[in-house]
Amino acid sequence: MNGLAIDGLAVQRGEKLLIGDLRCEATPASVTVILGPNGVGKSTLLQMLAGLLPVAGGQVRWQGRSLDAYARRDWAEAVSWQGAVEYADFGLTVAERLHLAAGIRTGLEADGILQALDVAALMARPLAQLSSGERQRVEVGAAMLRPTPVLLLDEPTAHLDLRHQAACLRLMRRQADAGRVVLAVLHDVVQAAAVADRVVLLYGDGRSEAGPASAMLAPERLAALYGMPMRAIEGGGMLPDFRRTV
Amino acid sequence: MYMRLARPAFALTGLLVLTLVLLAVAASSGADWINPWHPGDATSAAIYWQLRLPRVLTAFAVGGLLAVAGAWFQVMLQNPLAEPYILGVAGSAASGAVAAAAVFPASAWAMPAGAFAGASLGIAVVGLFASLGPARLLLAGVVLAAFWAAVLALLLTLLPARALGRAFGWMLGDIASSPLSPTLLLAALAVSVLAGLWLSVSLDRLLLGEIQARALGVPVRRLHLGLLLGASAMTAVAVTAAGTIGFVGLVVPHLVRMLIGPMHRWLIPGAALAGGALLVVADTAARTVVAPAELPVGVLTALLGVPVFLFLLVHRR
Repeated sequence: MNGLAIDGLAVQRGEKLLIGDLRCEATPASVTVILGPNGVGKSTLLQMLAGLLPVAGGQVRWQGRSLDAYARRDWAEAVSWQGAVEYADFGLTVAERLHLAAGIRTGLEADGILQALDVAALMARPLAQLSSGERQRVEVGAAMLRPTPVLLLDEPTAHLDLRHQAACLRLMRRQADAGRVVLAVLHDVVQAAAVADRVVLLYGDGRSEAGPASAMLAPERLAALYGMPMRAIEGGGMLPDFRRTV
Repeated sequence: MYMRLARPAFALTGLLVLTLVLLAVAASSGADWINPWHPGDATSAAIYWQLRLPRVLTAFAVGGLLAVAGAWFQVMLQNPLAEPYILGVAGSAASGAVAAAAVFPASAWAMPAGAFAGASLGIAVVGLFASLGPARLLLAGVVLAAFWAAVLALLLTLLPARALGRAFGWMLGDIASSPLSPTLLLAALAVSVLAGLWLSVSLDRLLLGEIQARALGVPVRRLHLGLLLGASAMTAVAVTAAGTIGFVGLVVPHLVRMLIGPMHRWLIPGAALAGGALLVVADTAARTVVAPAELPVGVLTALLGVPVFLFLLVHRR
């Protein structure tokens, strides 16, 4: 009741049912990771949760209250969303971009986020001159800086180098530990295993599974999800076995 | 491309001072230099207070309205190189003016009233396509502009030769024969600047694209409708006052953005000042360079604006 509840939600593309009757709840102080192949409706699901697309088939509730009952602005105060969007170049700087997201938010926590993502050094740069990885760090930082209880991240580690992938995952963990609901779409099962408390698997044919990370990230489940052989590794965990598929 | 000044407030103050100086110089300039405090004789005083100053203020208000409307259109269409006239509103206004002049050749109010009606019609037609989203709305605007140009050409071939001169003069932009008082135009400019400041946070967030703006809580659809109506009404007023004057709304917000950044609490007043100042300079040049004859000011702004526009187009990534 006190988290972000998804109750019987469905995603369709044309005639095809991608997600059917999805039921799960992302609770405060936890990281929920959504996994699935391309085109199964992961980003669509996240945009529905952000209130950017109309919710189909079921209901989304925050602390027991349905998304439909919220005004646009009030939902935006509860939910922060990061996703890949292109926008025209009006000459915004990084500092202005962050200011538009979060207002003037200073303090140790904000400094920590910007430092971990190495955004502080980019502040005066125009967005249009950033590389895609730098741009991604700014967008993830902008989403995390917003003082919302719910954080929705659509592939936050995309375009990032290894060190910044690690920083991003560490920040997700820290945000959850601070009490936020963190819900992220990831493509890397190793990253998912490192950060997730709960995992939602989307198969793209209406089926879905949700459960604790340890159960959902079993090699045989992931092998079925992606159609990829998975290899268990020493000390627990698994890797996609590219050596067998090349 | 980024010669951003560190302090927008400083840049804006500089722009204000520069604008006031330009206004004063422009009002005194002409066949004879007239000092308003020592006009010499009653005729000079009358020329200053009843002809030159109202004309300068009209040019300032029209230029400011066009530039602020341009800034709104640019953020609404997610295109830093858009302007009101790109949606065909100028063409529809000109068609309305010419049609009215043909039907009521004797009435002095026929052309401005026709222009306002034509601009409103053009806005209504654009409104039908507002749900298309920025990119396709822009395309619809280009096609509509071509349509109104054809309507205009048709009307001009039907117009009696006697009325042609007036219609042409109006189409090329004519500050001198504005049917609207400078006070009214300045009031319209003040309202548009205040509205822009009131909406500035939402406008800023719209710079991040519609989706991100909605994620930040901006009611984008309602804002779009308001911007379309507001900017089009501003265009209609400007067109009614001074005929079609292109490129001010296109180039000015773009240049001001380069100077003081894209945040609207600075951009909107900056565009109003710079747009006003630019049209004052252009109109003063139009009436002094080949005096006692006059150049059409819309032709001057196009001659200046097109190279600047192409330069900006080439030098943007």
